[in-house]
Amino acid sequence: MSVLLEIDDLAVDFVRDGRVATRAVRGVSLELSAGEALGIVGETGCGKTVTGLSILRMLPPTARTRGRIAFNGLELLELPERALRDLRGRRISMVFQAPGTSFNPVFPLGRQLQHVAERHLGLNRRESARLVAERLREVGLPDPERTMRLYPHELSGGMLQRAMIAMALLCRPSLLIADEPTTALDVTLAEQILRLLRSLQRELGFAVFFISHDLDLVGDFCDRVAVLYAGRVIESGPAAELLENARHPYTKALIAALPRHGRPGAALETVSGNVPAGLEEPPGCAFAPRCPIAAAECLTGPPPLTLTGDRAVACYRWDAA
Amino acid sequence: MTAVADWTSAVAVAPAAPARRRRAWRRLRRDPIALFAATILALFLLTAAFAPLIAPSADQGRGTAHVASRDLGPSAAHLFGTDHLGRDLVSRVVMGTRPALGSAVAVVLLAVLIGVPLGLAAGYVGGRIDEALSRLTDLFLSFPPLLLAMVIAALLGPSLTHAVFALAISWWPWYARLARSVAQSLRHAPFVDAARVFGVRTPTIIARHVLRNALTPILVQATVDAGTVILAVGSLSFLGLGSQPPLPDWGLMVSDGRTTVLTDWWIATFPGLAIFVVALGFNLLGDALRDVLDPRSGG
Amino acid sequence: MLHWLGRRLLTSAVTLFAVVTVTFLLARVVPSNPASLYIGPLARPAEVARVTKQLGLDRPLPVQYAKYLRNLVVGDWGRSLATKEPVLGGIATRLPATLELIVGAIVVAVALGIPLGVLAARHRARAPDAVVRIGSVLGISMPVFWLGLLMQALFSGKLGLLPATSRLSLETSVLNPIPHATGFATFDALVVGDWSGLGDAARHLVLPTLTLAAYPTGLVARMTRASMLEVLGQDYIRTARTYGLRERRILWRLALRNAFPPTLTVIGLSFAYLLTGTFFVELVYDWPGIGQFATTALLNLDYPVIMGITLFGAIGFLSINLLVDVVQARLDPRISLR
Repeated sequence: MSVLLEIDDLAVDFVRDGRVATRAVRGVSLELSAGEALGIVGETGCGKTVTGLSILRMLPPTARTRGRIAFNGLELLELPERALRDLRGRRISMVFQAPGTSFNPVFPLGRQLQHVAERHLGLNRRESARLVAERLREVGLPDPERTMRLYPHELSGGMLQRAMIAMALLCRPSLLIADEPTTALDVTLAEQILRLLRSLQRELGFAVFFISHDLDLVGDFCDRVAVLYAGRVIESGPAAELLENARHPYTKALIAALPRHGRPGAALETVSGNVPAGLEEPPGCAFAPRCPIAAAECLTGPPPLTLTGDRAVACYRWDAA
Repeated sequence: MTAVADWTSAVAVAPAAPARRRRAWRRLRRDPIALFAATILALFLLTAAFAPLIAPSADQGRGTAHVASRDLGPSAAHLFGTDHLGRDLVSRVVMGTRPALGSAVAVVLLAVLIGVPLGLAAGYVGGRIDEALSRLTDLFLSFPPLLLAMVIAALLGPSLTHAVFALAISWWPWYARLARSVAQSLRHAPFVDAARVFGVRTPTIIARHVLRNALTPILVQATVDAGTVILAVGSLSFLGLGSQPPLPDWGLMVSDGRTTVLTDWWIATFPGLAIFVVALGFNLLGDALRDVLDPRSGG
Repeated sequence: MLHWLGRRLLTSAVTLFAVVTVTFLLARVVPSNPASLYIGPLARPAEVARVTKQLGLDRPLPVQYAKYLRNLVVGDWGRSLATKEPVLGGIATRLPATLELIVGAIVVAVALGIPLGVLAARHRARAPDAVVRIGSVLGISMPVFWLGLLMQALFSGKLGLLPATSRLSLETSVLNPIPHATGFATFDALVVGDWSGLGDAARHLVLPTLTLAAYPTGLVARMTRASMLEVLGQDYIRTARTYGLRERRILWRLALRNAFPPTLTVIGLSFAYLLTGTFFVELVYDWPGIGQFATTALLNLDYPVIMGITLFGAIGFLSINLLVDVVQARLDPRISLR
């Protein structure tokens, strides 16, 4: 499989009043192959959303980005704005967490999708309307012609999320970035949406950059998983293997904290402590203060990625105990 | 023990956190526009306070004519020139700061004192009182604002006092509405509920908790309104419905200079400039306050 | 929708009724001796008594009120004490002149204010933003009568570019009068092809209209800017950007559409300002409209005219507000008019 997306040592800082206020991403390197689903997991504030937004350069003006992001050989971070705009929504699409606020309340749903079709595919009103109806049907929305004329507030969260997926796949992109697409939905709906995404992925063959804080979800849906902590990738590998046989203490703790691993009646496992915030530059491994197997060597510096086959882990003592 | 502590903390955590106000104050002090506006207003305030001492001729400022030197253009002796009755315009403008600022403060104060208690009570208590107040404010607000004031001033007999009174009557509904919406939004706030549970009586709740939260929007509104009121008072006097001669009212002075604006331009220009600058000061300050105190403002 | 409209009309009617009552009471109750308003404070007691009886001012208040209401409805709004003309007719004759100014000012305010506000939001914290912010705060701080005088002095006095006063030059009004059809000088001239008359009328319109437009333009620009800033930060605009829609389209076709409602409200409020602002502009420019009618009446306590204009102003204002509310509801699909 060819490499579709290559993120090379990405770093993102946010500045305020001329000085760096937050180091959101501190050197992330990832690879995504065509048609593959890569899950990006981590707690709030670990930099997963920022990484996703960096691909499309949709960060606020206070962001300073360093590193490389290559898409099909194209250097995304160097691309002029105009060329990037042609890419957005056409070759790389994004699905957001809150479908309710992601659509414009004063335009009918169909019109908003038509805007995208007319912009990227050069269709006229009538052609775009036909295409949009087709795509809405594809995501399982009944009676698309009627649904198209409705306003966002007249539709349920689930229907809106399907519509958002339809919009994302309108121009048949090769990469779909999904930022917590099911977090705002209830469990049954979330499952439906994921099943829809998976079947569409199989059928259309696009790659998915799946951002989530839910390890279980990601393990189910994705082919490979990367775990982020404090702006760095601390473990990655094939999904099933990683979940079964995690190497990094943080990953292990995350898995142990999953409700399904809890014993009935007992308190759930937690990971005590907090993620280092903002500007804090920990002396060694960022996880050391919270790590159950931390030792002196862990404070010497950020652990390098140890690669074994298709697994990678950033820990000095991952093979201890 | 824990339960009581929880309740106490609920009551203690009122939204108008002093820490945030201190931060807002610091930001305000660094805002160049706010400083500029505050300086201008402070200058005018000082001028009003020491007017008779600052004016080259306080007498002429108050209205004493000096016909020998009438209609003189700006010169070293008379920086702003003289008017049709020979009075030094610098003195007139300086002495005019008193009625101008005084009337602006009076109108806003009156409007706040009438409107805010009514609005708070209606918004908090709701029900029939609220209905009645809403009908009343709707009635007042269906008149184009200045028009009502003009009519009242005309009917009472034109004078500065009557103009102030008339404007206050036109203005109070805005404050009533503002206070009402704040009170309404706070009716079911957690800290208000907590106070109720503790047995605090309604009037005290309104006075202590609700009012404190209403102060910020009221302050912002009052500052901006001060500017509008200065314009309104000037406008009424310009028409002859406010201050009467020989009072050094800026609007009146502009009216004096109206017919000769093409030849003796200074008579109308400088007093009008004074109105403009003061109104500008209040508007800028009000803007800066709003930016700093309203967490949602886009700046 | 009709349901809601009906209810709103009813509420407006009730408010109007209250306005009528208040106006009535103002003129009857406020002055200590209503009759003296007619004949002046120096009249002899016998005269005062006669006029009081003649005007029915000695009847009980409710009786006066009923008579007043009845007259209002049939269109008898009294006669001006000064000119003896019927109040309603007097308003109608002078209305077109004032409307020319008001409509002109609104057009300028919208045509200038909205684009300026959008540009300021687009280039936030940069030069265009600063210019618009400064300009608009200047516009709302200037006393309209002072601005009028300044513009007169500058553009007419010093530069001689435009006429200082009146609606039409003496030449036109005396030698080549524009045939009176609607009362709108510009329109009437256009309709008969009187180009010089049209030009004359237009040149006289410029200064007063711009003077009147300064305040609402500033207001509209400020509100548009603030509203656009809020909209541009919303999720749905982020979605549009994420999908590669062109910035110009996002700004003018999408964001502006979302940002418009508060601006519309401000435009409605501006009418209130314009209704009274025109008093000053007409005074300064000697423009024969309702403003002049009203100002003279106020100073001379020509109270039928005062009451008539107050009532008229309130009706106008209420109607504008109703219209704005209707448009607001149509613009926002989330509001259902039940």
